[in-house]
Amino acid sequence: MWKLEFPYRRSVGPVIGAFLTGLRDRRVIGVRTAGGRVMVPPFEYDPETGEPASEMVDVASAGVVERAAWVPEPLRTHPLDRPFAWALVRLDGADTALLHAFDCGSADRATAGTRVRIRWRAETVGHLSDIECFEPEPA
Amino acid sequence: MTDPVQFMSHHTAVEYAVPEPSRLGVHFAEQLARARIIGHKCPQCGKVYVPPRGYCPLCVVETTAANEVDQGQKETEDYVQATLLLDGSDTTLMVTGLEGIAIADVRTGLRVEAVWAPEGERGSVSTGIRGVGLGDAVKSWRPTGEPDVSRDALAEHIL
Repeated sequence: MWKLEFPYRRSVGPVIGAFLTGLRDRRVIGVRTAGGRVMVPPFEYDPETGEPASEMVDVASAGVVERAAWVPEPLRTHPLDRPFAWALVRLDGADTALLHAFDCGSADRATAGTRVRIRWRAETVGHLSDIECFEPEPA
Repeated sequence: MTDPVQFMSHHTAVEYAVPEPSRLGVHFAEQLARARIIGHKCPQCGKVYVPPRGYCPLCVVETTAANEVDQGQKETEDYVQATLLLDGSDTTLMVTGLEGIAIADVRTGLRVEAVWAPEGERGSVSTGIRGVGLGDAVKSWRPTGEPDVSRDALAEHIL
């Protein structure tokens, strides 16, 4: 087996940089466009008008599953080592959804409309993986 | 930590399943372990392939152990490879073939001069030099007998 590795270090810019800085502090930061939509994760530009979008706003660490796809056999490179769902989660206060792993245990729980919250990693570094996954919000 | 995040590590890796080495490949490695580099000489065009491929792609013929030849190392005695700074130049040349001096006496700052190959044996422009080094034009380098140059005088040159 040969392994070819690409250890890139990417410059993230002011908007994604603010988002990642927020994650390091266990806060989720989005950006509000001139039209009032809050995008999480944030874009540098309003996708509808192309205008710069720079008003950073905090959103909640909990939200609702918009779509989910069950992964019965995770690959080695997946974020969880047990069956999980890929989910588009719209956090409270956001108008767009964030894609991440949802540790829901079984396929029948990977459903749209489920309330979820972020499970933070024990040590955060300023990376999307500071969110370990989403988990069902306690009732 | 209060510094804003400016960089993100992005580690990507690709893993390849590598086939088992061929018998010819194993044979080549075994010979290497015996300090021997082998090749296969095409029975038709005479080109030698190192490592051997088991075929000549130009003639489309198989080559076998019957076509095996020894390759590689021509030097059998110890020798010196030196980085040479020519008078008036700021870039250096990698040279071998120091003559008239024992290896133990070769040192930084030693002044040497070219021993040119006879005219007509200095390689052709198209094949001998290729824009790198001096090709076959200089047979060897011999000490001039002048005093050594100080190390400081060699600094600030492009290696």
